[in-house]
This record gives sequence, C-alpha cells and structure tokens, in this order.
Amino acid sequence: MPESRLGQWLAQLLPARTAADVFEPAWEDLRIAYLTRRERADSSLARAALRVAYTLLAVLLLLDCWRLAIASGFQRREGRDALPTLIEPKQTERFAMVVYLVRHAFRQLVREPAFTVAALLTLALGVGANAAVFAVVEAVLLRPLPYTNADELVILNHRDMRTGITKEYIAIGDYVDLVGATSAFDSIAAYGRGQTAIVDRDEPYRVDVLGAGPGLIEILGARPVLGRTLLPEDSRQGAPPVMMLSHETWQDRFAGDPSIVGRTVRLEQSERQIVGVTPPGFTFPPNATTDVVIPLTLPTVAPAGRKNGWTLAIGRLKPGRTIEDAATNLTALSRQMEKDFPQTNLASEYFPLDLRTSLAGNTKPALMLLFAAVGVVLLIACANVANLLLARSLGRRREMSVRLALGAGGARLAAQLLTESLVLALVAGAAGVLMAYWGAQALVALLPQSSSVPGLDAVRINANVLGFTLGIVVLTALVFALVAALTVRSEKAVGVLNTSRGSSIGAKARRATSTLVVAEVALAIVLLVGAGLILRSFASLLAVDPGFRTENVLTMTLQLPGNRYQQVAAREGFYRTAFEAMKGVPGVQEVGAAIVMPLTGNNWTAPFERPEQPVPAGERPPEVGWQVASNGYFKALQIPLVAGRLFDDRDGQPNTNVVIISEAIRQRFFPNESAVGKQVRQGDQTAEIVGVVGNIRRAGLRDEPRADMYFPFEQNRPGQVSLFVRTGPDPQRATTALQAAIKRVEPNANIDRVQTLSEVASESERVTRVVLWLLGVFAVTSLALAAVGIYGVMSYAVRQRTREIGTRIALGATRRNIVWLVLQQGAAIAAVGTVVGLVTGLATTRFLKSILYGVSGSDPIVLGGAVTLLVVTIMLACYIPARRAASVDPAKTLAEQ
Amino acid sequence: MPPPPRQLPPLSHLQFLALGVLLAGDEPGRVIRDVVASYGLQRTGAAFYQLMARMERDGLIEGWYEPIVVGDQTVRERRYRLTADGARAWRQTRAFYESVAAAAAERRLSNA
Repeated sequence: MPESRLGQWLAQLLPARTAADVFEPAWEDLRIAYLTRRERADSSLARAALRVAYTLLAVLLLLDCWRLAIASGFQRREGRDALPTLIEPKQTERFAMVVYLVRHAFRQLVREPAFTVAALLTLALGVGANAAVFAVVEAVLLRPLPYTNADELVILNHRDMRTGITKEYIAIGDYVDLVGATSAFDSIAAYGRGQTAIVDRDEPYRVDVLGAGPGLIEILGARPVLGRTLLPEDSRQGAPPVMMLSHETWQDRFAGDPSIVGRTVRLEQSERQIVGVTPPGFTFPPNATTDVVIPLTLPTVAPAGRKNGWTLAIGRLKPGRTIEDAATNLTALSRQMEKDFPQTNLASEYFPLDLRTSLAGNTKPALMLLFAAVGVVLLIACANVANLLLARSLGRRREMSVRLALGAGGARLAAQLLTESLVLALVAGAAGVLMAYWGAQALVALLPQSSSVPGLDAVRINANVLGFTLGIVVLTALVFALVAALTVRSEKAVGVLNTSRGSSIGAKARRATSTLVVAEVALAIVLLVGAGLILRSFASLLAVDPGFRTENVLTMTLQLPGNRYQQVAAREGFYRTAFEAMKGVPGVQEVGAAIVMPLTGNNWTAPFERPEQPVPAGERPPEVGWQVASNGYFKALQIPLVAGRLFDDRDGQPNTNVVIISEAIRQRFFPNESAVGKQVRQGDQTAEIVGVVGNIRRAGLRDEPRADMYFPFEQNRPGQVSLFVRTGPDPQRATTALQAAIKRVEPNANIDRVQTLSEVASESERVTRVVLWLLGVFAVTSLALAAVGIYGVMSYAVRQRTREIGTRIALGATRRNIVWLVLQQGAAIAAVGTVVGLVTGLATTRFLKSILYGVSGSDPIVLGGAVTLLVVTIMLACYIPARRAASVDPAKTLAEQ
Repeated sequence: MPPPPRQLPPLSHLQFLALGVLLAGDEPGRVIRDVVASYGLQRTGAAFYQLMARMERDGLIEGWYEPIVVGDQTVRERRYRLTADGARAWRQTRAFYESVAAAAAERRLSNA
C-alpha cells in the first residue's frame, strides 16, 4: 500500500541519513511503479492484489535499507568510508541477524508466489474465522458484565419436576420465605420489567421501567449520582410512591436539572417523587433500556396463595460461595417448602443460573459449538499449510544442505525456519484480522437481536481479540517451524549434496505428510457429521406442525396508556371500536388478542383440578399451560375447535367464569366423557369448560404439544396484549393501515414488535439456523481443504513413483490398472481418516445435544451421507494425479533410468 | 601516443555505467537504474540509491526532487545531472579502459 503516509511512517523507522539518502528516492520509485500499474489494472481484485504486492515490497525496501545501514555501520567501525548509521555497534550484530532473517523470510514469500498465496489464503481463512467467532465469544461470554463482582450474581429459576418445565420466575410466597432462609446468598431481590409513560410538561413519552424489589440496586452495586437509592421501606404496601431516574433520562428529558431530586412527576396512573438518579450507563438486564426505576411492592409475609403471583429474582452469592453451594442450598429449601406446603410446592424446585448463562440462553452453546468448529477449521488449515511447507522443503533441501555444509549450526537453521513461519503466520494473521472485522459483524447480524444476549451490540476487534489472534498465530508458527525442522533435522548434508537429484523427502517426512492428511480427513468428517445432524434437525423442525397456521398472520404488541384505561369498561370500549376499525382494513379477515405470544419460549402455567376429583391432601394439582385469548385469536391462528364453542360476548359478563381447554387436557382428565359443560376449580371458585380446541406447541417448535387452558380475553380485556391479524397473502402490506386504525381510536396507544407470525416462528429457531449455516460453511471449507491436502499428497506420491509406474506400463499394466493403483493409495488414507473421524464425530455429537431435534447423534443417514460425500470428494481429488500417472510415457521413463 | 596512465580509474564499473547515462543530460534515478540493470547489474532500489548518494556526496552528480503526476497522484521523482567533476572522472575512467584495450590490442598484434 505505497501511500505517502505509509512512506513517512516507514522512514521514521530508519536512521535519518539512510531515510533521506536511500529510502525516500527508492520509495518514490516504488510509488511510481505501483501507481502506473494500478492505472492499468482493470478489476478491483487486480488492484487489491497490487496493493498487497507493493505493501510487501515496501516492507522489503525497509528491511533492505536497514541491511545497508547496518553494513555501513560495520564499515565505519572498520575505518572504511560509508554512510553514517545510528545503531550502536554492540547491538548491530544481533539486530543485523534479525533483520537478515526477516528480510530473507519476506524474500522467500515473494519468490514463491504460488506457495505464498495458497498458504496465506488457507491460514488467513482459519485465523480469520477463529478471530471473528472469538470476537463474539469475547463480547458475549467473556467480557465482564457492568455490575460489581458480576460473577457472584445468579438468577433464580423454577422447575416443575413432574413436567420438567423450567421458567425464570419464582412464586411470590416462596420468594418471601427464600429471602429469609437462604444461607448461600448475601441477598435476593425481586425485579420486573415493563413500560409506562412519563406525563410531564409536554406530551407523554414512553419509558422502560425496572421494577426493583428491596435491595436490587445494592445487589447490582449501583450508587446513585444524585439523591438516594431505593430503600426497603419504599417497597412496603402504602409507602409514598417514589422513583429513580436513569442518568440518561435525567440528562435528556430533564436537561440534567441539579434540583431534580424531590420533584414529582406523573407516571401514567400515579404521581411519583424522584428520589435519586442512577449512575451513567446503568441498565438491568445489561442489554435492556432502563429509563426509570420504581420500587416493586411485595408482601413481607408469604401470602396464603403462595403461587398466585410470580416474580423475577436475582441473588448475590456470599463471598466464597459457589453456584453449586447455591444450588444445594436452594434444593434443600425447596424440599423443606415441599414438606411444609405440599399443596402448592410438591415437585417444585428452585435452582440458580449464573447471570451470564441466564442472559445468553441458547446462544451460549451455539457460540461454543461454532468456536469449536472454527478451531477444527484452523487445525485443518494448519495441516494443509504444514503439508505445503513439507512440499516446499523438498525444493529447499539443497539450500539447507549447503548451509549445513558451510557450517550453519542447527540453532541458526531453526531460527531461520522459525522466522519464516512467523512471518508467514503474521501476514496471514493480519489478513485474518481484516476478515474477522467483517466476519464478526456478519455473525452478529445473523444472531437473534431480540434476545437478551449481552454484549452483541459491543462486538469489537479489541486488544483481547488481537491478543488471541496473536496467540494462535505464534502457536501455528511454532507448529510450522517444527514441521519444517523435521525435514531438516534428518538431512545428511554431504549425502544430499552428493546426490544429483535430491528430490525426495525422507520416510519420516512422508509419514508426517500422510498423517497430516489423515488428520484433515478425520477433522473434516467430524464437521460434516455435525453439519449433517443440524441439517436433519432443521428439516425436522421445518416439518413440525405447531397446531396453528403461521402463514398470513400479522402480530404486534399493544399497550394502552394506563391513566385513561383503568376501568374495564374503558378498555372494552377501546377494543370493540379498534377491532371493528381493524376489520375494516382491506384484506383483514380476523382480529384476535392474547396475552402470551406463541413460540417465544413462554411457558406460564396454572393448576388444573376438577372439583369432583379433588387432588388428595398433601398433593399439588398438575400444571397446565395458561393463556388469555379472545375469540378472534383461535380464528386468526386457525386453531381447530374440537367441541363446544369459542369465547364470545357472553363471556364478558361479570361473574361469568368460563374456560376453553386443549385436546390434551380433555384426553387426560376427561378420557371417556365430554369435557364441555364440566367445571374446573379456579382458586375458591369454579369455571365452566365451554370449548375444546386442538393442541398447539406454545413455547416453541421443539416444545411438545401441551395441555393448555384458555381464559377469556373478553372477561377483563387487559391493557397490554399481543394482537393477531389474519390477512391476505402479504400481511406486511396491511401494517400501516392497521396501525393507523388503532391510532385513530387511541393516539397514545403504543404499538411495538410488528412482525408476521411466520417471522416469530422463524426467529424462535434462528440460533439453529445460524449454526446450521456456519457449520455448513465450515464443513464445506474443511472438505475442500482436505481434498486439496490429499490432492497434494497424491500428486507427490505419483511424482515419486513415476519410474515404477513407467516400468509397470512397460511390463503390460493397463492405464486402468495404474489409475486403480493410485486410487487405492488415496482410498487407504481416506479409510483411516474416515474411521478416526467417525469415532471422534460420534464422541463429540453429545455437545450438539442442545441444538439437535428429532435426530439421534448417531443417525445412520447423516453418518452415511458424510462418509459418502467425503469419499467421493477424496476420490475425485485423487483421480487427477491418478490420470497423470496413467499418462506416464514408459519409453521416456525407462530411458531416464 | 602518450604512454597509458598506470593508475586505477577513479570510478567503479557501476559508477561508470551510471554516469554514462547522464552524459546525454539529466535523468530520473529509475531510468538510470533500468539502464544499469540492462547491463546485467541488478541492484535493489536501496542499494542503487546508496550508490547514487555516495556519488552525490563525492560531487560527481547533483540530485534533486521533481514532482510528477502519475494517475491521480503527485509523486516526487529523484533526478540527477552530471557535474563537471563527474564528467571528468568519467572521461578519465574511459581513457583508462581505452588504454587497457589499446595495450591489449597491441600485445595481440605483436604476438601474432
């Protein structure tokens, strides 16, 4: 890249006189040559290649100038006339050696462009892929979370041991008891998230709210920059309503007013006094927006209905306690509560998840899998480059022998080989970092943005990533130097010099080459098996019937301004008018509403009990899925009505308790009778089953069709719901008109997350799709590299056996015999690699367990497919050298003998 | 005919070649380097300009930068001209080689 600023920078690395007299005019010549050729280049690829070539030439020029400066330093010391140098004589010799070695290494690269391009591309690909994935891993899994001692923070989770369903919530009653009884935690605090609107001087504006239970702010280690933090008293029933502002909201909305503390602002329904301002950048969870923090009101004594309400909860471990200690403690407390409150806590268990694991969710195993996969790609790339180095060492055997014969020590040769490897790996590393810059951005764009994964917005090629890249570069350089040394070590200088041919490598090196290719084949098959298994999983997921139709349905979340819709009648009026307006939009067929958006992982449950078959004392009723849905929800999603009816306006009447159940509940609890008309216990009351609908996979496509119980939306019409609109073939076209229809009824309604239900379904398996794509790319890359590797080995083997092949043909072997002879050799390598790869692949498929669906880790179709693909590719790679072998001219070969 | 000088020439063959290029007029360094290379004397850019810098210091040539436009960029090109001392040194060197050549021819004739 001979730009003038690069020249100025390089010149500063030289003694002033050398820079002025020697470097500058030569540099300007280099620029003239570069610019002239660039003018003639007719493609961006050619221009890029020129840039790389001339950058290398610039580095060579710099090294050459240093060589001359040092040489003139020697001459000056010897009293000879020379250009002055700035280097001290003592340092000169050592430095001269380093400069010589580096310069020689660069010259080697330039002198062998085919080798250089092949090795650099292969290595840059391996290093770049690793650096890109590491950049994401570093941001998501390694970078400290923005809280004091964040590794002590854990999220409390609940597991229903009868169904295995877990959720990131804790029952309010259990929370109250756990806070007082736990011994592993310093403190536990409840929290919640939501949205509201600040109604200040001008228009109301929406803010993201963090509801903080007692102690949450202290647990997170946030100190207010103004005023005070929230106190436990603020969370008591009847306490004066207060709030904290985030630093950003304070600055943006209140112009950083220093007298903000004590001021009262309206937050939809209630007026709250601002008591403090959080530190800059404070948010919880880390990737969420926190504009306002309000106290979460919680009971101080466990209520009778222990599981009537649920909350999110976070705890800080006591110093020195581990997450295993916390798990043991929570299990013991769960068992105690099970004994004390069997009707609510039977088979109910709490367990901790560290904050990062909890936030990263299924992105963590996916990233670890990709990290392992790129590691395999790097290993294959290294094996390939090592093979290239071995092949190159063949051509340099005489050079090395001459050096040995002239008295070069082993250390000197080793230093030279190490320098060459290091230069090669460093240049590849630099190119790899460039690739990683774009690769990491692409990977971030592919990962689900709506998830809670921390750090995705802060993926950078920072010092950690550069350090990691340098680490693998140095490691690969050492490996390459070792491989190259393997061939030199066994050289017998005189012997090689005496042989006129000097064209074969030793048995050790030959074995090393074959071993490397076997390793490549084995690693490639591991990746192929992994990619194949995920492909089959994805195909299984695509074939899953969720129990409802996702096509042609537009979804959105709707939140009504709380201050105007506190009364049920007001909300009923809004929904009636808004739904009518939405149905008037051209193309709209059905409009429905529900609390839970399907396929988003939600698995809220409710107890199910028939009054005539009460659960025995000391037992807890089974849990079934919970949903609040309108009549239009079932129609929009085309969930089939099996028996009875759907909800209608009758169900909106006061004291009308009705539910709809799914077919799974009917089969389990009403096996030989009609469920419609039967009663279900709901706390102290009962509700009548008015309909039975088909089963759906509510939480996700991987979820089994579950027993679900639906409560009528028409009963209390909540202010925050998900809307489902069935339209014509292109639901997105109706978006603007639908939003306008809602806004006409309520201009301050907050409409968010507008997407089709197909997109929701697709998003739910986005991580699997990303892993499939990337693993597929890595597998194909590794297959190609393995093919190139075996091609190289077979080509060399054919060259080595030319005389033998010529003799065989002369003695009557047909061309087909010769092709088969070569293919056999390739097949032997492929067979060993395949066996090793299959054993390794089967052992590693357990790491894929969390991503696989509907396919076993030892799926014979996948294993067979991977082996077939690999063997065919390898045989094709062997076929070219085999044909070359078959075309050997026996007369010429025999004449040479 | 005066007897041939019995001292070595003031210029090396490389300097002699480079100065010879400048006899016809001033030239850019890269042109001189190309001509020298055409005689089979390949020198890296750095080694060539070290040679030119030494001749400049010895007063045989004068060098200066001149801006030229290549494509869309302006580049400084190093140009050289022969000084009177340089021209004298070149003539002395040429005389040396001619005298050696003449002596060799004379010996060949006398041996014939």
